[in-house]
Amino acid sequence: MLTDFGRVFLFFIIAAIFVAAGLIVARLLRPHRWYPGKLTTYECGEEPVGTPWVQYNIRFYVVALIFLIFDVEIVFLFPWAVVYQNLGMFAFVEMVIFLVILLVGYAYVWRKGDLEWDRPEPEIPFIQILKRFIS
Amino acid sequence: MLQQILESLKLFQPEIVLTVVLCASILLDLIFRNKPNFIGGFVIAGLLLAGYFVIEQANGVTQSIFSDMYAVDPFSVFFKALIILSALFVVVFSLQSKELNNGKRKLGEFYSLLIALSLGMLLMTGASNLLMMYLALELTSLTSYILAGYKKEVPDSSEASLKYVIYGSLSSGMMLYGISIIYGLTGSLSIYGINEALSMGGVNLLAPKSSGLALIAANVLMIVGFGYKISAVPFHFWTPDVYEGAPITITAFLSVASKAAGFAMMMRYFFVTYFDAVARSMEGHFTALPGFDWTYIIAIISVLTMTLGNLIAIWQNNLKRLLAYSSIAHAGYMLMGVVVLNNEGISAILIYFVVYLFMNLGAFYTVMLIANKIGSEDIDAYKGLGYRAPFIAVSLSIFLIALTGLPPTAGFIGKLYLFAALINAKWIGLAIIGVLNIVVSLYYYARVFRNMFLRDPEKDSSPIIFQPIHILVTLALVIPTILLGLYFSPLVDIAQASVKMMGLM
Repeated sequence: MLTDFGRVFLFFIIAAIFVAAGLIVARLLRPHRWYPGKLTTYECGEEPVGTPWVQYNIRFYVVALIFLIFDVEIVFLFPWAVVYQNLGMFAFVEMVIFLVILLVGYAYVWRKGDLEWDRPEPEIPFIQILKRFIS
Repeated sequence: MLQQILESLKLFQPEIVLTVVLCASILLDLIFRNKPNFIGGFVIAGLLLAGYFVIEQANGVTQSIFSDMYAVDPFSVFFKALIILSALFVVVFSLQSKELNNGKRKLGEFYSLLIALSLGMLLMTGASNLLMMYLALELTSLTSYILAGYKKEVPDSSEASLKYVIYGSLSSGMMLYGISIIYGLTGSLSIYGINEALSMGGVNLLAPKSSGLALIAANVLMIVGFGYKISAVPFHFWTPDVYEGAPITITAFLSVASKAAGFAMMMRYFFVTYFDAVARSMEGHFTALPGFDWTYIIAIISVLTMTLGNLIAIWQNNLKRLLAYSSIAHAGYMLMGVVVLNNEGISAILIYFVVYLFMNLGAFYTVMLIANKIGSEDIDAYKGLGYRAPFIAVSLSIFLIALTGLPPTAGFIGKLYLFAALINAKWIGLAIIGVLNIVVSLYYYARVFRNMFLRDPEKDSSPIIFQPIHILVTLALVIPTILLGLYFSPLVDIAQASVKMMGLM
């Protein structure tokens, strides 16, 4: 007989087979008519420029983290709002403490200047300056 | 429910104080930007207040709060006092450290992070739910990653931080896997619930026969998580690099408080989860897993830890690295106290930790003072230091003698109780290996004295002058190191009264 975990394992196996079978069958059935435009990366209809393997500015991560923190705050606020009627004052005080702790973090980020988006001067490679100069 | 939470808050005061101090110190740092010493003073005041509340709890209160999430008992109170005392020392050290106070760094944040680290450690000592344990462990780990890399401009420090993150995330991931298996087998995350599930006919009744094996595997994974925190071999690889690269005050803190918190969490987990309530009448009432004796795993880890730590320490030339390996060896000695599985062993570990706090913090502090002046931590640079700075050199020697475990220092008392517990529990072989290791350790500690007292200074032989405050702090560590070696009965009494854990009789 299957145990509970055995069923999970069976589920994994079937999932793997399903994916592999789908890919193989599609490969056998589909017509093979490609041209370069079809092979490019899909970027919402835009033509991709350059390679994606570039260094991203660290600021993106900071902003993403800040976003995540306030997003999670909302996740906590929804269930709190649902049961608020039953818990009353105590729940209110508890949530205020939570929000104050978050606000300390917000003040910290603000004061440390992580919300400012000063764009660095783009570094133009020397060869391009030279080309512009010649033309 | 509501009443219970409000009741729980009364026993949660030290942690609340630290949380408030953490938020306030961040805000103060934003207002008074360039006054790190002011933040340092504020943090000291906060730690003293938290310490006051911890001592207020030291009246034998044994209670489980927040629906079995957290335990307040003499055992955790003892460790909390230890952690807060070492945090106080580390803040004082940091205020005097030259490598930190070079004007370039924002030290306000440093003190806030130290408070967050202490808070995580306090939570580790009391956590009695596997998820709470994991969260406390992560809070401690994440802040220590940042603090280890605080000297950003020094490549070693960044390397230390990166290695710490990689090893830390691997081992905490393994521990989380172990937790998930245990939850799957017993259906509970609270250590009391797991204990109940195991004692009610054992795990074999819950699920098919293979689950006994699964429980053993899960416990091995848990040991990985604990072993990483206390830097036991074979999970010690991060230790030397992190201890060498991190600012020396953080190294001191990690080697004492982090280890204490790891031991507290590990002992609570193993002793409470596998406590046999039926066979309570016997002396050694902590039982092993059904059909499997996990104490042997710990005994093997203990032997490996002390032997490897001591043997590699022989070859080190950097004193910080040497102390890192010696702290690995000390974790090995203390693991011997876990192996004996009785209250005598627990109290021996508690005594050892108090002694270890003074001698290890003292050793790191004197090394920091000397590095402030001569700018080096190499043992070769210590030649003739006994003539140039007699007081500090003698203090360092006292700390190293205590770390070796020779009388009349406190180190001897710590080892005496540990070995007495081992021999009473008939672990003679382990005790012999421990004693042999102490002999090995004498060699590398003695190398430091030899360079300080028996070698002539090489280039510069001018005397080094220390400020009165440095001498005062050193005395605050030297006096207990010697005093506890001569008059130790109060310490032993407190430790024996502090073995009581929530959930154990």
